[in-house]
Amino acid sequence: MARPLEGLKILDFTHVLAGPFATRILGDMGADVVKINSLDRAIGANDPIHPYYIMWNRNKRALALDMSNESARKTCKELCEKADIVIDNFSVGVLDRWGVGYDTISQVNSKVIYVQMSGMGDGGPWSKFVTYAPTIHALCGLTHTTSVKNRQDIGIGFSYNDHQAGLHGAVAILAGLESLQHSGKGQRIDISQFEVGVNFVAPSLVDHFSNNTITEPVANDLPYDEVAPHGVYPCSSDGEGIKGENWIAIACMTEDQWRSLKNLLGSPEWAEQDSFSTLSLRYKNRRELDSHIQNWTKAQEAYPLMDTCQNAGVPAGVVQSGADLANKDPQLRSREFLFAFDELHGEVGQTFGDKLPIKFEKTPCESYIRSRSLGEDNESVLKDWLNLSPKEIDENKSEGWLN
Amino acid sequence: MTEGPLSRVTILDLTDERGIYGAKLLADLGANVIRPEPLTGDPLRMRGPFIQSADQGKESIWHAYFCSSRRSIALDLDDAEGLEQFDLLLTNADIVLTCPGAFGVEESKEIVRDKNQEELVFIDTCSFRPGCEWADYQAPDIVAGALAGQIATTGDADTAPLKNFGELNFMVSGAYTAISALSALYNRRATGSGQRVEVSVHECIASCLEHVFMFYWYGEAMEHPDGRVLPRRGSLHWSNAYDVMNAETGSIMVTPTPDFDKQLTWMIEEDIHDDLIDPQYLEPENLRLRVEKTMNQLRDWVATKNAEDLFFEAQERHMPYGLVLPIEQVAENPQLIARDWFVPYQIGEHKTLSTGAPYHFSDTPWQLGEYKSINEDQVDILNEIGWNS
Repeated sequence: MARPLEGLKILDFTHVLAGPFATRILGDMGADVVKINSLDRAIGANDPIHPYYIMWNRNKRALALDMSNESARKTCKELCEKADIVIDNFSVGVLDRWGVGYDTISQVNSKVIYVQMSGMGDGGPWSKFVTYAPTIHALCGLTHTTSVKNRQDIGIGFSYNDHQAGLHGAVAILAGLESLQHSGKGQRIDISQFEVGVNFVAPSLVDHFSNNTITEPVANDLPYDEVAPHGVYPCSSDGEGIKGENWIAIACMTEDQWRSLKNLLGSPEWAEQDSFSTLSLRYKNRRELDSHIQNWTKAQEAYPLMDTCQNAGVPAGVVQSGADLANKDPQLRSREFLFAFDELHGEVGQTFGDKLPIKFEKTPCESYIRSRSLGEDNESVLKDWLNLSPKEIDENKSEGWLN
Repeated sequence: MTEGPLSRVTILDLTDERGIYGAKLLADLGANVIRPEPLTGDPLRMRGPFIQSADQGKESIWHAYFCSSRRSIALDLDDAEGLEQFDLLLTNADIVLTCPGAFGVEESKEIVRDKNQEELVFIDTCSFRPGCEWADYQAPDIVAGALAGQIATTGDADTAPLKNFGELNFMVSGAYTAISALSALYNRRATGSGQRVEVSVHECIASCLEHVFMFYWYGEAMEHPDGRVLPRRGSLHWSNAYDVMNAETGSIMVTPTPDFDKQLTWMIEEDIHDDLIDPQYLEPENLRLRVEKTMNQLRDWVATKNAEDLFFEAQERHMPYGLVLPIEQVAENPQLIARDWFVPYQIGEHKTLSTGAPYHFSDTPWQLGEYKSINEDQVDILNEIGWNS
């Protein structure tokens, strides 16, 4: 059965995580994504045999070009003419230097949707600043706010904004395609990963603009609403877990949930005190409340406690690690969310993946092709996109610019 | 005025926190997004923060942000007339966005089942995939983040595991909601056929954990002393090459990547390189040692610096350092101001600013539409769907 984006041609100049994540999602949904690589850039996380690269570049074909060569740049331009989407996350200007900037390509391919995902966007005094996700987290307020008050800043423990920039890149591309359906015309889309990130603190910013509020780190509290208990509590250490620790998140968002939790606690005397009688009072006295709940959770095993809470109507969830997700999570197991690719990687051997979290009823996306080695699909891409014969491809190879 | 890229799409927004960001993304891109509310009002209008004003009702900033560009109609779904109006709304929609338990969702499923609208795209953003063990588990953002692996990655050895600020896990499922709607729409444009689509919040979060599965699957290749599962490690990145450091004034995210030699040159200029010019550090097997030594040297050095000055000097050298900014300084950021990024926004009687475009389209620009009070578009919407009272 066809996937929803079958037939869509994407030329992918992206690297590291944000851009590759956008094209991975589109590739999972059936787009023909051709990833442009080169020998001199195949280092570190951009090396096709690095686990980081393998994670974000499945369901793509790999074409390796030496862009310092004029013939390679000419071929690259021809590919751009055939593409529905051209996407990069280089600093502004790199593709222009290769002769495949938007102004050039839109002249020969008026339907192209041309997406540039730079750190700061095209324009402004910081447009040439270099960023990775930790840079963006720091600048957009997420490092300061994802933390504990009066302590050194912590921030998010992974590259959240790279994933989100990729997701927003995919949204923008799909919106551009919808516009193209009616206008018959492509366009350029400029994405600033910084601006994507600032959106995630928007309620705090509007609160500041409106009320001069200073937002402080809130650890596991909700930043704007009085909800308690709302925290992460230790469970019994059974030798498993991360460094032997096990934790559970519990959140009573409603009065009913609090009453259910009280029942589970055995309606102790402390829980009936005036200081915990209303949501507002529980919030005001939440550190004391946390301490009581912690005394209850710390002797219990996390998974059975979660089941007990959930069965009683109290939202609770074990703090699962990557190993827990792989080995203990019945939801992911039932969906076969984590999987090994059928075909072994020529250089790495067995590789693994996690499925697209979207399940289409009529156009299921269950086809996963492992990430490719440098230039592994040179022949098939040049044949399918440019209709080159095997003889022409061999000639290109002998010229040395087809890596 | 130029229309947004989705100006020919009509969407019914029946989401709660799990999918509402997706509805916002589509609405701000120009779709006609109608959000029905119960007569008592959308319960999410009670989410803080609120506009602080002595002479106003409780205006929710949270709701105003997440419900931008929507049109509001209030419906009584216990009443035959209200249900009929709801039925017409569904008939007129290209896409319906739902979250189980939100207003109108059960009714919409029944109506759609009976109508057999071949072209309708119906998105269901649920906490857990139906039919599985945890399908009925309740998962507000903090619980969803715990179960899907986000919380285990964040925090430090001396803190509890931490959720991300706000409800960022639901902003991931929201973004996937928008992607699923637009992909199904693309397919419908090609085939004439709509479809049902399920989006699992649990899987959405798990798909966006950067290194977590990489370490689990390729732990041996990563050669990390902690093995296949990294413990909470504060601001220290999994690669050990990014960390937040305290400067003399302020705090800054420091990294010698992507060009260690450039960082070394700077360290030599500052005379803080110690023995890092020793060729042993260039050996591949000593990369970890080089990173750790470099970061330790930088920590001592950063402690003597002004964070803001250091940030600009690093960026001048094309090094991706990041100044740790509190929200009030983000509000004054010169890059955002130069790009005229914050946009005027009105919440009730209150005029303020909101965040701007996450993407800039050359021909069909993103636009922040008005924020509507309950049933503000009642008459217009009923006329549009052909309701004759």
